[in-house]
Amino acid sequence: MSENGSEKISRRFLLKVAGGCAAWLGLNKLPFARAQASGQAIQPLPDFTGPGVNPYWGAVGTFAVYPQKLPLIQLTDRPVQLETPRNYFLTPFTPNAAFYVRWHLEGIPNAVNLSEWRLFVEGHVEKSLALSLSDLMKRFKPVSIAAVNQCSGNSRSRFQPRIPGSQWGNGAMGNALFTGVALKDVLDAAGVKTGALQAQFEGLEKGRGLTNSVSYKFLKSLKLDDPVINETIVAYTMNGEPLPMLNGFPVRLVVPGKFSTYWIKALAWIRVLTEPDANFWMTKTYCVPDTPGGNTTPKDAKEGRVNMVPVGTMPIRSFIIIPDGSSKIPVEMPITVRGIAFSGYGVVVKVEFSMDDGTTWGIAKLGEDYGRYSFLTWEATWVPKHTGKHILAVRATDEKGNVQPDEAIWNPKGYLWNKIERQEVIVDTAG
Amino acid sequence: MEKALYILIGLLITTSHKPLLAKTNLYGLVRSGQYAKGNLRTMHQPETAKQSVDGVYIVGTYPLYTPKLPPGEGREIMQGYCNMCHSVTYITMQPPLPSATWATEVYKMIDTYGALIPEDEVEQIIAYLQSHYTTETRKETKLGMKGRQDIAEDESP
Repeated sequence: MSENGSEKISRRFLLKVAGGCAAWLGLNKLPFARAQASGQAIQPLPDFTGPGVNPYWGAVGTFAVYPQKLPLIQLTDRPVQLETPRNYFLTPFTPNAAFYVRWHLEGIPNAVNLSEWRLFVEGHVEKSLALSLSDLMKRFKPVSIAAVNQCSGNSRSRFQPRIPGSQWGNGAMGNALFTGVALKDVLDAAGVKTGALQAQFEGLEKGRGLTNSVSYKFLKSLKLDDPVINETIVAYTMNGEPLPMLNGFPVRLVVPGKFSTYWIKALAWIRVLTEPDANFWMTKTYCVPDTPGGNTTPKDAKEGRVNMVPVGTMPIRSFIIIPDGSSKIPVEMPITVRGIAFSGYGVVVKVEFSMDDGTTWGIAKLGEDYGRYSFLTWEATWVPKHTGKHILAVRATDEKGNVQPDEAIWNPKGYLWNKIERQEVIVDTAG
Repeated sequence: MEKALYILIGLLITTSHKPLLAKTNLYGLVRSGQYAKGNLRTMHQPETAKQSVDGVYIVGTYPLYTPKLPPGEGREIMQGYCNMCHSVTYITMQPPLPSATWATEVYKMIDTYGALIPEDEVEQIIAYLQSHYTTETRKETKLGMKGRQDIAEDESP
């Protein structure tokens, strides 16, 4: 072939290929989208909710990163309060890196020297103790328990009228396998003397208030004749790891079945008392009406008609984790609805699932039993039969016969919420 | 012969990943390739704090993510006093509250939690909270120039 011939072939070849491309593209009509010049790709949640009910499952804060933690929902930064996003509750044990965080005072530990840290046991005892972490691990028999840790104010943003405080959605809770020393063993080692009534607990967290003032230290107490003392542990591992600093390294109290206000983090002092603890954190806050379900009205509370007692055992609760409403469901598609349930009063014996807003109920399948204080997972198969809006609901029953109510409650601080949970899902055509 | 081969190869390469004819549309595809500007927010993965065998268990500093508050009379006084014990994120986290509730909350800080605030400044603090955080006055934050709540829209980055 001559040189001229080659050139002509190349040009024609190119033109033909180009023509072929153009023809192909035109025929197939690829939908080229133009990037929007302005406006955000993702519409964020609002900054705040209210004065009505928070309609979202979780709090509406932005995601935030903290040491040892996955991005979690931020409520506050100083002191730190972080909520666990919904999907982490698919597993019965909540990953440490996703576990919610709640502190009262801004002086949260950033660094702890274990060569110097001691757990002091003092007060009305035969012998005061100063135990290192090594002492706790070696001198005492290790015990383990799976227990749900839930903030007393979990779901506070459901209350009407809204209550000032930490505006939790449903994620101020978590389940972990805690290993440590039985509190009873520690107290026995010190030798509790006759006449002792309570044990008071204090951690390393400190606030900016004057020493011995309310805003300087956070103190909680348990009665020594409370049966929970026999199940309380001083935990040094959480899900098989050292406690994250934000969840109470080096050790924290684990009080199974009770709200986490008692679960003192970075525990450093156990004081045995001969008088009931009258400190602010026991008597002036963390109190609930002494009524069924802890329910009262703003009017009754304001006019002093209701007797307030310290918050204690966690009422029965259950949650739907998926579906979470972020996707429509094609009609007749078999869906596995999944969730969790727990009660501080005893074993969860039944979980019921409704696909029609509580009109009819069916029994859900229960997951593995990790003990009476653990999350219990549940699941149910749902095959939607018609298109449109559906409201799923779940309710649990425990061994004492406690069932979740389907009415809202109110109390001055926004504690004890355990109303039946619902999830709206849109079902659409499958073609 | 060769040129026919070249043309054939060219066409095959161009069309090999897609059927050729218009009849084979992407049925049902309503939208694709749609992008829009996001907010390049600084959510860096945290570096692990340096560890050594010295007995000290360390996680490093806790970050502050405090939103900027709307300008107004009393803002600086309030921030000065409130920041002693906690960040003002405690304020922005609240739902819109009745005016009277804000007054109660401020007095709770003084009477219960020991905040040392002179009386005339208490009034200014309450007034600021009531002009921005009640059911009547609370507004969504306008995200600043880079989509960040720590820069108000009317202030430069």
